[in-house]
Amino acid sequence: MNAFKIPLSIALLSAAIIAFQLALIQILSIVQWYHFAYMVISIALLGFGAAASLLAVFREKMVNNAEFLLPFLMTCTGIAIASVTSISQTAAFRFDSYLLFAEYSHTGRLMLTYLLFLIPFFLGALAIGLIFVRYVDAIGKVYFANLLGSGVGGIIALFLVRMFFPNELPALIAILPVLAGLTVAPGYKRFLHFGFSLIALSIIIWKCVIPPRLIQSEFKDISKTLLLPDAKILLEKTSPYGNVQMVSSSAMRYAPGMSLSAPKPAQTKMAAFVNGDWFGVITDWSRTDTSMVLDYTTSALPYAMAEQENVMILQSGTGMDVAHAITRGVRNIVAVEANSTILSILQHELAAETDSLLSHSALSLHNVEARTFLSMDTTHFDLITLPIVGTFGGSSGLNALHEQFILTKEAFRDMWFSLSASGMISVTSWIDYPVRNPLKILATMVEVLHELGIEDPTNNIAAIRSWGTITFVMTKAPLGEKEIAAIRTFCEAMMFDPVLLPGLGAEERMRYNQFQDDLFFDYVDRITSSGKEAFFAAYDFNIRPATDNKPYFSQYIKLSNLEGLANFLGNRSLPFFEIGYLLTIITLIQISVASLVLILLPLFKIGWKGEHKAGVVLYFAGIALGYMFVEIVFIQRLILYFGNPIYAASATITALLIFSGLGSYYSNFFSRDRKRLLMIFTVIFVILFAYSFILTPILRDTVQATVFLKSLTVLLIIAPLAFCMGIPFPAGLSRISKMNTALIPWAWGINGCVSVISTVLATIVAVELGFMWVMVFAAFAYSLPLFTIIKSHE
Amino acid sequence: MVLQTIERRGVKDNAVLKSMRSVKRHLFVPETNVSNAYEDRPLPIGYGQTISQPFIVAYMTESIKPKPEYKVLEIGTGSGYQAAVLAEIVREVYTIEIVPELGNSAAARLKKLGYTNVNVSVKDGYFGWEEHGPFDAIVVTAAAEFVPPPLLEQLKEGGRMIIPIGSPFMNQMLMLVEKKGKKITTKSLMPVVFVPFTRKQD
Repeated sequence: MNAFKIPLSIALLSAAIIAFQLALIQILSIVQWYHFAYMVISIALLGFGAAASLLAVFREKMVNNAEFLLPFLMTCTGIAIASVTSISQTAAFRFDSYLLFAEYSHTGRLMLTYLLFLIPFFLGALAIGLIFVRYVDAIGKVYFANLLGSGVGGIIALFLVRMFFPNELPALIAILPVLAGLTVAPGYKRFLHFGFSLIALSIIIWKCVIPPRLIQSEFKDISKTLLLPDAKILLEKTSPYGNVQMVSSSAMRYAPGMSLSAPKPAQTKMAAFVNGDWFGVITDWSRTDTSMVLDYTTSALPYAMAEQENVMILQSGTGMDVAHAITRGVRNIVAVEANSTILSILQHELAAETDSLLSHSALSLHNVEARTFLSMDTTHFDLITLPIVGTFGGSSGLNALHEQFILTKEAFRDMWFSLSASGMISVTSWIDYPVRNPLKILATMVEVLHELGIEDPTNNIAAIRSWGTITFVMTKAPLGEKEIAAIRTFCEAMMFDPVLLPGLGAEERMRYNQFQDDLFFDYVDRITSSGKEAFFAAYDFNIRPATDNKPYFSQYIKLSNLEGLANFLGNRSLPFFEIGYLLTIITLIQISVASLVLILLPLFKIGWKGEHKAGVVLYFAGIALGYMFVEIVFIQRLILYFGNPIYAASATITALLIFSGLGSYYSNFFSRDRKRLLMIFTVIFVILFAYSFILTPILRDTVQATVFLKSLTVLLIIAPLAFCMGIPFPAGLSRISKMNTALIPWAWGINGCVSVISTVLATIVAVELGFMWVMVFAAFAYSLPLFTIIKSHE
Repeated sequence: MVLQTIERRGVKDNAVLKSMRSVKRHLFVPETNVSNAYEDRPLPIGYGQTISQPFIVAYMTESIKPKPEYKVLEIGTGSGYQAAVLAEIVREVYTIEIVPELGNSAAARLKKLGYTNVNVSVKDGYFGWEEHGPFDAIVVTAAAEFVPPPLLEQLKEGGRMIIPIGSPFMNQMLMLVEKKGKKITTKSLMPVVFVPFTRKQD
């Protein structure tokens, strides 16, 4: 093996594959929704499994022609990366996720899209697999280059998305595999390959000059907004948080669940969209008619209850609540928002349109995750507000798998301790049907108050509703007569109805806004009574409070109740209730079936019996399952720790891959030594099992440290574990190469397929059991190879 | 078959049922979906809009208690199907569509079908149609995050307004707004009542 060229080419190719995968998430999130992006990419990644199957069947031929095939496959990967996005936007391939359940022709297009996006991953994986098989003697180094390249690919993607629009990314990324191909082109055929590379580069340049036009679903928020009179995109900015667009229209208005007594809603000038989804309205503060609209919504309740001097606005978004607080004369406003791109646009490009809202003297702005800020700040506030929960008409569960750390029990506890003696927490939610969001908010508040030692939470919770929204206010001190009177006066003026209030009469609950029956109030009363556990168990949806361990506030599906819901709602309607989680389950089923086929197929060629096949399956499936589970837990935990989801995820993945790469580099010392390998697996098992219980406390206790100290802590946590986790794969391949080289691609295929399954499975385990169990399962997954090594000796 | 479903699900008004029988839904859906026109489900009509499911159209029409002398305002013409159903029952229908392509094609379709008592306008429905108000009833077919104050002003004393809430692809909740003097009340109507397994007596 050329000591430099092969590792370099595999690193370039791996970088391209990871970067393309990240770019594709952005692209598919823009044209459709994140969950469809997740599903399409999960299936496309099975290209690795498909490549392994092919390699297992034609191993000898391909290895014999590796010198020709490697540069050819790498260049083809480049062409495919540059081309598939444009092809996916043609009429034959373009599907609309909303119409999947209304027009069956879209199901066929979705299948074609799967196949299309599988191509670049298949070609790239074939080249990587061929290198693994051909250069198995140096697998440690090769795998090191593979992991290092993947880590660098993530960083490249992060830089690219800041500078280029998502539709421009594939062509740029496609240059890397072409360069990889040129690196390994054999001398005697270099001229021929150079010509092929020129063709590839011509395609890439063409796609760079004319990038594909991304056609968004007609049902996306931005598509509908752009149909309004005079609608135009005023500003567009690409960022790791997604594609931000500012749209203006003379017919755009914002007044969430506004009172029927309001004189008129504000004329909104502009609104922000991220990846085509509604993000927030752009407002100024000097014209009272823009932010005054919130005075006529239930979210003005805390201002009606008391004069607020110190207010903290969590996830302040585009600043509507900030503008509202300013117009209410709040002297000290602390706004917390993690999306730096939105903040930058508001502070610079749109400073004039917002009357320099974010530079207002009363405002102190913090660009960090809300929970991270809460755990670090020691100030006390009169009022803490959260963004509106849910969306008008229901979100169809699109946020079901979005970790919402701001709505967990721990978050409410943190907020509670940040309140002044007379302080309050205010949360407004859209009333969904069947009702879910408001019940979960109430359940969270009730449980937190109980845990804080408050026997009767109804003395500390007030709730009022309009025809569309409900606002809950949780007070530090029990609600007093004065506050109760103020709430009643506010409801009367606004035609709202109180839902929860000490001394509330049943007849007061539906004076202005009636339901067909009083079941909603029955639910509310059950949650605030001692029978809440029985109610949680009996209710059709999961309304138990979210926790940091299971931070999926918007996940309402009870798997045990799925069949009943499908029967009741019908198969066409069910997906629109909770599409997010359902898609994850559908994805898992699809990739599991496909993986099984891809794993079994090569056995027709290499034989079904003997040669330690069961051991190979357990070994390579175990390390794939364990690795991905660990990666997902770390990403999830470190988002909260560092307070920035994008950079925390990138840093975690990069650190894991680099240290695993180093482990791989040194794996040759372990592959021949069974005892050392046993020791490595034992160490991994013990560390993971320990982390299941001590990781969260360690991170919680050090969250207030400086970024440097936190980084050092994380490095100490990740580095030894990742180093050890980098060893088993190359060591395992090296060991089986001595038994039967025909098993190498098969083993690699098992690893690839199970890796894809693991990412989806980890999400389901986290939703159902919590992240702690994902880590415990990771530990047990690593015990599978441990078992096979012990067994191999026997 | 659709009509049976509609009746079974609770629509009783004879005038509404007669109208639903008279108006041919396949004339209001895109060619690609003509074969599905008589299924009780919404169908896409382009521009991110749908033609509502027949049951919702019937239920919304019934909920405003339409009478032959009524003047009704509709916000969100879409394909013109709801306007046609209303036009079979009431004296005059004023309908507003904000998307020019949809509004113009619906106007042409309704004219071709001979609905002389339907007036279509392409404009922002937020402001209603003041010069023809007040209206006996208002049907808002496009869900909105707020009830436009001008529409409340153009609703007659004792008038009824119906608004759907929720994705058009699933069972929607409907909201009935009633104006009685200075008091405006809302009532959530669930055409497909979600039957929870949990009841008071549990």
